[in-house]
Amino acid sequence: MNIVEMIPIIVKELWATIYMTLASTLASYILGIPLGLILVVTDSDGIHPNPAVNRVLGGIVNALRSVPFIILTVAVIPVTRFIVGTSIGSTATIVPLVIAATPYIARMVESSVKEVDRGVIEASLSMGASPLQVVLKVLLPEAKPSMIIGAAIATTTILGYSAMAGFVGGGGLGAIAINYGYYRNQTGIMIVMIILLVLIVQIIQEIGNIIARKTDKRIR
Amino acid sequence: MAESIIKIEGLTKTFGSGATAVTALDNINLDIRQGEIFGIIGLSGAGKSTLVRCMNLLERPTEGKVIVDGMDLTALHEKELRQARQAIGMIFQSFNLLMQRTALDNICFPLELAGVSRKAARERARELLRIVGLEDKEKAYPAQLSGGQQQRVAIARALATNPKVLLCDEATSALDPTTTLSILELLKRLNRDLGVTVVVITHEMKVVEQICHRVVVIDNSRIQEIGTIEEVFRRPKTEAARKLVFPQTEHTVKFSGKGKFLRLAFNGNTTDRPIIAEMVLKCGAPVNIAFADTKVIDGRMVGHMILQMPEEPEIVRKMLSYLDSQNIIYVEER
Ligand SMILES: Nc1ncnc2c1ncn2[C@@H]1O[C@H](COP(=O)(O)OP(=O)(O)O)[C@@H](O)[C@H]1O
Ligand SMILES: [Mg+2]
Repeated sequence: MNIVEMIPIIVKELWATIYMTLASTLASYILGIPLGLILVVTDSDGIHPNPAVNRVLGGIVNALRSVPFIILTVAVIPVTRFIVGTSIGSTATIVPLVIAATPYIARMVESSVKEVDRGVIEASLSMGASPLQVVLKVLLPEAKPSMIIGAAIATTTILGYSAMAGFVGGGGLGAIAINYGYYRNQTGIMIVMIILLVLIVQIIQEIGNIIARKTDKRIR
Repeated sequence: MAESIIKIEGLTKTFGSGATAVTALDNINLDIRQGEIFGIIGLSGAGKSTLVRCMNLLERPTEGKVIVDGMDLTALHEKELRQARQAIGMIFQSFNLLMQRTALDNICFPLELAGVSRKAARERARELLRIVGLEDKEKAYPAQLSGGQQQRVAIARALATNPKVLLCDEATSALDPTTTLSILELLKRLNRDLGVTVVVITHEMKVVEQICHRVVVIDNSRIQEIGTIEEVFRRPKTEAARKLVFPQTEHTVKFSGKGKFLRLAFNGNTTDRPIIAEMVLKCGAPVNIAFADTKVIDGRMVGHMILQMPEEPEIVRKMLSYLDSQNIIYVEER
């Protein structure tokens, strides 16, 4: 098959890639934001220190982050089968993607929230803010621009993982690259896939930067 | 005598434990009266910030009581304490505004915490912006405001819930001399017009001199001296107070002759008239200027000077009474 004949397949898998990436990012953020916030709040110099919770969650996050993604994907196949019913295809890939990305995003959120000036937190406590009010009205809004930049980085990382999943039965552009570009030795296809992935990364990064710049009021 | 608004009894604060323990405050007893502007002065590391942070329990005392407006804060539960904090405003050296909120929304913040409706909060915030002279800046973000303007927003924010007390931790230390004066004037006006008790923490004596009614000198985690500005600054009794009124001895030119050396402090309460020259003319005898480090800020003289006085006791007496009449602070240099 030449590239022109491949176009419908490419378009279909491009959508699969976008679907996997966005769905996984969204799910990972839904889990990762609370996790990151708990890590900050329960830290020894946080607003509600809890060494036990902090150490257990921190340990889980570190453990998950140290397993290479490909190995994780294979290792969680039973879980994937249980949740999705199959371990093959785009939707199935979302499961290992979320498991891999959540701890990563929790750390990104943690680092963004830790950038919030200690003095501002102190000032809100002096005004009688409760820990929950500090989280909702101070930490999250003040960390927002930094978290948006983090989200762009996280999304591109998840995109990279999703392409990797193509090696072990996932769909998307990665699957085309491996099935046609590598197994059938079609260098042209491989190059097109690489260009497409690079383009998507650039677009996501640029959108992230623009939104962060627009929302950050620290810039005059 | 006015009623007590902040009463501190036997307060001790120790950070850490064992061999690395640091005692930041050691058995502090203090009674701040309703409606006064009270200064807490001391060199860096003396324990001033720790003391003021104990006044709203941002720092929990290791021992002792903190009674604000008749309530012992150390006995309150978390929720009651948060309620009590709404009656104690606080401003800081670094302003600590929410950078992602406008000036108006920053002032609304404590009102939101207190459950005030959005509409009422905005109305109150606008009124406060007017009081601090920033009515045209309600939509500005902190990054678009100067240091002095940011501190005005912080003051407005601290006053939003009508607190009885305003704690100021080095509130002017990040500002230039002119802005410092204008912020101090504002605090003075708020104290007079709203009756809010102001507690000013600083390492700069000119701040205390400018606005405080009474002052306590803290050094080495302890209260060294307490009294009116007059008492503490014109006649410092302790070494700690002397160090603050007359910053450390520099190299001085030694002249021959037996006259005593006198150290004069100018704290911005005198204008830049040639005081020494007038004194010399009036008393009919020369003095040696052994050291001088003074400058004029906004037409006010700041700094200090060491004079070698004439030998005749009669002339010295005349000179001292002249200095007294000019409100110049002096001590004999040892
Ligand atoms: N959180 C803390 N942990 C340990 N030591 C502290 C802490 N806060 C203050 N200190 C120590 O307490 C002493 C007084 O500090 P502080 O109250 O900040 O002084 P000041 O405001 O007068 O400069 C210093 O020796 C300081 O190092
Ligand atoms: Mg301090």
